[in-house]
Amino acid sequence: MRYFLLIVSLLLLTACSQKTEYNGKDFAYYPAGVLKPEKSGKGRVGDKYIYAPGIRFPIESAPAYINSQVYGVGGYLGPKGSLCDQKNYQYPWRDNYCEKRGWKMPLCTGGKGHQGVDIRTATCEKKKYYAVAVEKGIITSIGKYTVKLRGKSGRTYRYLHLDSRTLQVRKGQKVKRGQRIGLVSNNMGKTPTSIHLHFDMKQTIKVGTRSKSVFVPPYSSLVDAYKRLLQGRP
Amino acid sequence: MHSIFWRLIFFISLSLSFLNGGGGVLDVDWSTIDKSQQKPSAPYPDVLTIGIKEVHLPVYLTKSYAYDENMVVVADENFYSISFELEGASLLFEGDKTFQESVDPTNPEFQKIVKQSPPVEYIGAEGMMTAEFTKHGVNYAITIECEDPKKDKRCSETDLIKSLYNGLAMVGGRP
Repeated sequence: MRYFLLIVSLLLLTACSQKTEYNGKDFAYYPAGVLKPEKSGKGRVGDKYIYAPGIRFPIESAPAYINSQVYGVGGYLGPKGSLCDQKNYQYPWRDNYCEKRGWKMPLCTGGKGHQGVDIRTATCEKKKYYAVAVEKGIITSIGKYTVKLRGKSGRTYRYLHLDSRTLQVRKGQKVKRGQRIGLVSNNMGKTPTSIHLHFDMKQTIKVGTRSKSVFVPPYSSLVDAYKRLLQGRP
Repeated sequence: MHSIFWRLIFFISLSLSFLNGGGGVLDVDWSTIDKSQQKPSAPYPDVLTIGIKEVHLPVYLTKSYAYDENMVVVADENFYSISFELEGASLLFEGDKTFQESVDPTNPEFQKIVKQSPPVEYIGAEGMMTAEFTKHGVNYAITIECEDPKKDKRCSETDLIKSLYNGLAMVGGRP
């Protein structure tokens, strides 16, 4: 009983904490939902639920960095400087699901926000690092700057901003977990964005006899996947 | 002190119980199908009829695209994804009858999301314009993704997506 209460207390403390958590040699991350403070919106603090258990990390190799493209150094609403500033390429990770955006997002406080998370690759170089399939599945569509993977689970994963010319997949192709999809770039058609992978996960949630397809929080699933990647068992 | 701990345990158990996990397949309400829509004025192209042959949910496409042989169909019994390459944009029609998470119907957050969800929603996000809707208990979407998302009105205004939604016809699918 004593141990159970201890675990419960630790869980609560973790959920409420703003401090980073550490794992491995130098990997550190802020808890899920803790967005960049001040002005960037409200995340789902305390929601540590892993919506996509066991997925592979979507970038082929570590390190990679989850943090804000908008509020990071050089971002549209961030401190002045270069998008390639070293501060953007270091731990700790910070969740940016539900970061302020103008569009509807039912799982975000206030009903609006970022549908996924933005991930930077090891260095600020485009077309160098591969995005890979997070689970076995099929490529259902390839848009102007979006690749959609429908996993065996039925969950849909979107990869945005990959380089279109070097995609390793085609529509309707079955892919294995970890298979290369394309190179991370800044592709957003005629209006290039910063170099990063926007990754999101959409799944249908059944509530009684009704259901709703929603973009679910990817951060905790990615933390879990990244820990496994660092441990050499992606 | 003990009572506070028990309250915490109760709260956490309650929170976790909301997400029951476990996926499955939604029940399609075939009784709500408008059968008059099922008869095409001319046979659909093979790429469509063969592509959706195994789909076990109603397949919806905007009428004007149903005869476009340049479509790409990706489907199995539980979902379909039909895409078209337009001038400077791509167009995608999707339907899926699977669910990945089952939530306790008393969960206030999801109860609110489902109850407040209108039959169709038009959402402009990440440079794309999407119509999300539910028919016969299944979730569908139409998405337009533009080469020039900032300037192309197809991705910044709702006129086209609304007309695509209003022009939908059931082109196949079986129980």
